[in-house]
Amino acid sequence: MALFELREVTKVFPNGVVALERVSLRVERGEFLAVIGLSGSGKSTLLRCLNRLVEPSAGQVLFEGADVTHLRGRALRQYRCGIGMIFQHFNLIERRTVLENVLVGSLGRVAVWRSLLGTFPEELVEEALRNLEVVGLAEKAFDRVRMLSGGQKQRVAIARALMQRPHALLADEPVASLDPATAHSVMRYLEEVNQRFGMTVVCSLHFLSLVRRYARRVVALRAGRVVFEGCPDEITDEWFRHIYGEEAQEVEIR
Amino acid sequence: MKRWLWQALLLDGVTGAYAAVLLHRIVWFHMVQGMEPPAISPWELVAYALAGMLVAALGFTVRCTLGAWMVDPHRLRPWQRQCALHIGLGLLVLTVWTGWIVTKVAPLELFSAEGLRSAGRLFGALLTPELSILDRALAAMVQTIYIALMATLVGLPPALVLGFLAARNVMRHHVATFAVYGVLRVIINFARSVEPLIWAVIFSVWVGVGPFAGMLAMTVHTIAALAKLYSEQVESVDPGLLEAVEATGAHPVQVVWFGIVPQVVLPFLAFTIYRWDTNVRMATVIGLVGGGGIGTLLMQYQGLAQWHEVGLIVLLIAAVVWVMDYLSARLREMIA
Ligand SMILES: Nc1ncnc2c1ncn2[C@@H]1O[C@H](COP(=O)(O)OP(=O)(O)OP(=O)(O)O)[C@@H](O)[C@H]1O
Ligand SMILES: [Mg+2]
Repeated sequence: MALFELREVTKVFPNGVVALERVSLRVERGEFLAVIGLSGSGKSTLLRCLNRLVEPSAGQVLFEGADVTHLRGRALRQYRCGIGMIFQHFNLIERRTVLENVLVGSLGRVAVWRSLLGTFPEELVEEALRNLEVVGLAEKAFDRVRMLSGGQKQRVAIARALMQRPHALLADEPVASLDPATAHSVMRYLEEVNQRFGMTVVCSLHFLSLVRRYARRVVALRAGRVVFEGCPDEITDEWFRHIYGEEAQEVEIR
Repeated sequence: MKRWLWQALLLDGVTGAYAAVLLHRIVWFHMVQGMEPPAISPWELVAYALAGMLVAALGFTVRCTLGAWMVDPHRLRPWQRQCALHIGLGLLVLTVWTGWIVTKVAPLELFSAEGLRSAGRLFGALLTPELSILDRALAAMVQTIYIALMATLVGLPPALVLGFLAARNVMRHHVATFAVYGVLRVIINFARSVEPLIWAVIFSVWVGVGPFAGMLAMTVHTIAALAKLYSEQVESVDPGLLEAVEATGAHPVQVVWFGIVPQVVLPFLAFTIYRWDTNVRMATVIGLVGGGGIGTLLMQYQGLAQWHEVGLIVLLIAAVVWVMDYLSARLREMIA
């Protein structure tokens, strides 16, 4: 049974934009899946359907065979808690410490009043420190996030996602605002999480070189539809032009 | 094109009726007859409306009016354009003339010998303040500052709550909460649009003239003004952090606490300090209508025509307002 399955998912935003159109997709447990496509092709929307930050207009989202398409309230929060997410712009609390930010990942498992008082249980703090070790930032735990570099911030975000003890990790253009060397270092942490913990990773990417290096399977979107599904090395020049349009300069994206 | 036509007819109608009202009630009664115009009768209203329609019809057929000019200035003949221009100029002259009469402008009074002497005496007295009432004035000033402080402190908690409840991005997820948002917006905007001076009049009828009425008036205004500023700040937070906290499966309360609050603490603090500073200034004025403190003392001496005492109070107010201004600006600089 696939971990995630999308069945004919369509998403129409209130302003009439059709971001996804009858997208069907299976994400197998433990795989590293890349999502590619031009800006506006629906990559972010696809990822947000998986953890139900977005509710599809039509179609079904299945998680381990169970229908999660229209979950609400507590059930929806529990579902989201099981899936970590990281973002292009990190989305951390800049003025707080690294540790406090990592603990945000445990909100779904802590009583509301405890989290408001800021008194997280001791074992969660220890778990947060262990997760910081995983991303190589243990010694930064008490620094303010504001002081960190972009690459370090993204690693804090990974630690925050790990705090959810997730079944899967969604990464929305995680390295798009980092320089190439830093991008690789962040991607290597995602790879490590994928291989060491067997965690499923779904990652949208802009650079084909990164896709070839890290992903085992690729899905390409164009105007909200799946136009390619397969291994990275199956993306020939012809497919490339089909995905990115005739004028796209391969060098830039490769 | 259709809509333009309606707008042109409306413009001509309104200008025609407006000109008729001014010509009849101001020029005819005030200038020619030299008397106050009587109450408006229904027949007059009909006549004004007819005048408006006449001008609109003129614009539609002869095309020599403002409305015709608005639709398409380039297609008018020179004389039509000239005519429209004169109508506009005539309205302007008529309006200023009316304003002059209604405001009872009388420049000569600024320069009458007696007036000048009184003003001179007054300014002289203000510049030679009576120091013997300094202790009384200081006590009243302290009262004013505390009225402002209390209004700020008492208004703060409700304003904080409202700041979030009146923010679109917090409330839009659910129909019920969105309805609450809409109602709160209306109430806040109403409370804010009523000047604190008017609130002071209302409360001095309610709880009696005095500092308490002044404080209540400013509290209401503080709540409304701060709630508006706070909610705008909440609405402009970076949605990315909000989304990230939501993605962890956090409870909505936690989403607000970890996704919004860290982004708004400093601006909230700055707004609050600024509000206290504004309230001190406002408290002096509210005293004038019976809100207690230094303003009330000022009114007492002014009623007795004791201008040296008034002078001292005015100087004291100026000094305190200046110090508050400076302090609040420095404080806000420090946290920015
Ligand atoms: N909340 C929203 N409301 C309305 N339209 C939206 C919303 N979010 C996304 N869209 C629209 O949906 C389409 C797909 O957006 P999406 O963010 O999924 O694309 P993307 O592939 O992630 O693009 P990018 O590479 O720029 O991030 C776009 O046309 C976008 O304008
Ligand atoms: Mg995107």
